[in-house]
Amino acid sequence: MPEDISGPALAALDSLSGADTAWVMVSTALVLLMTLPGIGLFYGGMVRRFNALNTMASVMAIAALVSVLWFAIAYSLAFTPGGELGGFIGGLSRAGFAGLGYFGPDGQVAVSHLAPRLPESVFALFQLSFAVITCALVVGALVERMKFGALLGFAGLWLLLVYAPIAHWVWEPGGWLAQLGALDFAGGAVVHINAGAAALVCAYALGPRQGYGREPFLPFNLGLTMAGTGLLWVGWFGFNGGSALAADGRAGLAMVVTHIAAAAGALAWMLAEYAARRRATLLGLCSGVVAGLVAITPAAGFVGPRAALLIGVAAGFACYWGATGLKRLLRADDSLDVFGVHGVGGLVGALLTGALADPAISGQQGSLLTQLIACVAVLGYSLVMTTVVLFIVSRFAGLRVGADAERQGLDAALHNERLGG
Amino acid sequence: MSGSSELFAIAAHLHVQLRRKTGRVIDTEWLATNAEYARAIVRFTRERAAAEGHADLLPWADKLEAAIVAMGAAPRKTLLDVAAEALRAAPGPAPSGEQPHKYVGGLR
Repeated sequence: MPEDISGPALAALDSLSGADTAWVMVSTALVLLMTLPGIGLFYGGMVRRFNALNTMASVMAIAALVSVLWFAIAYSLAFTPGGELGGFIGGLSRAGFAGLGYFGPDGQVAVSHLAPRLPESVFALFQLSFAVITCALVVGALVERMKFGALLGFAGLWLLLVYAPIAHWVWEPGGWLAQLGALDFAGGAVVHINAGAAALVCAYALGPRQGYGREPFLPFNLGLTMAGTGLLWVGWFGFNGGSALAADGRAGLAMVVTHIAAAAGALAWMLAEYAARRRATLLGLCSGVVAGLVAITPAAGFVGPRAALLIGVAAGFACYWGATGLKRLLRADDSLDVFGVHGVGGLVGALLTGALADPAISGQQGSLLTQLIACVAVLGYSLVMTTVVLFIVSRFAGLRVGADAERQGLDAALHNERLGG
Repeated sequence: MSGSSELFAIAAHLHVQLRRKTGRVIDTEWLATNAEYARAIVRFTRERAAAEGHADLLPWADKLEAAIVAMGAAPRKTLLDVAAEALRAAPGPAPSGEQPHKYVGGLR
């Protein structure tokens, strides 16, 4: 058994676990469903009618681009040891689609040191599905006004310069936040705080949409948003349950706490909305579900059901404020509230993980201070480097479509297509 | 081409395009002489172009809008228009029962 390896290596086929491998393969498919079509529907339903197709096309194109770049280089930067700079970035030993080998006649297969009981191909694909959804989440802040080519340029650079290093810091055992003892089971910081911070920078850099704050921007179809929410909720079982990297009791508990937090988040958001506006809305319920799911993400393998209930309730209230009161304070047209839901929810979840982690579950003790350091580091790095990435892209392409194209709608102006109807 | 013939040419082209793409039949003579009607057709053309993806209509809407200036006619408001504007400006409940500022400045 290659349990003590410190980097990717070849292992005997019979050292793998069939059950673990099967579960992570299923989880990978579930997490990809969260993006394709989950995020596409979730976001596509919230934008105006004449931008829905562009929003879906953005999610689809980002998924394709990130997939190629992941195996070309990003996976290696995120999940291999990095030599002298190993605390901050991985090496290139898995760059260029290398190292995912399967050698049947020799009875050997490549495995990652992070998951030695799975083929490395399965582990790398599972992690790819996280990179895809993180990049796709940022789309919610820049819809209805960004050039399509600029968006793809941004997504590619952001994957390499922001996502891959942060994933390395937190998840690769040599990463400096992992060494510090930061707990992030499935990506509260790597995925959600990171995407939320990037979204905020994008919203400021692009500026508000024409008519923002003066005209009502009617959502295209909240039924699509509800369908997307359902896919996210179910897919999150793979996101959190799969992050155990094993078909075991911890994965089962992760699924239970995920479900409880989602439900608690929905109820808390609904209560907050009812208290403020005397209405319980479908979009509010969907948003509360996502808020609870986001907040339980870093905690899923470290907390029990009661703590999950508390995390879900806290996230429902906090993210309602994030998408309303905080949004007004920040004065950014973060169009679909990526920071308000994912940024705030990620921060709530990461900090509460430090307070509520139960050593009886994982053997790991949470620390509020360590979690705070991790949150500040990820938030700060993402804010700064996203600004740098946007600056680079703007030098080559310009970020924003022309006023006429924005008025006309990006479906017709950029794609010469319409969604139907 | 004189301003008047250019207007008629634009009107004729839009007449054909709008009938073919949207089913709307417009009055070309009235379009070439009445700025208010011409503005309404510019708005209609842009709305349909955005809603139905007829990007090729937009340059004609732009041409018509530019040509309206040449007509030199200040828009005249009917009494009905003035009354409608006053009503729209007056505060009151949104017709669907939604909060008045729903979806303004935020979705949630």
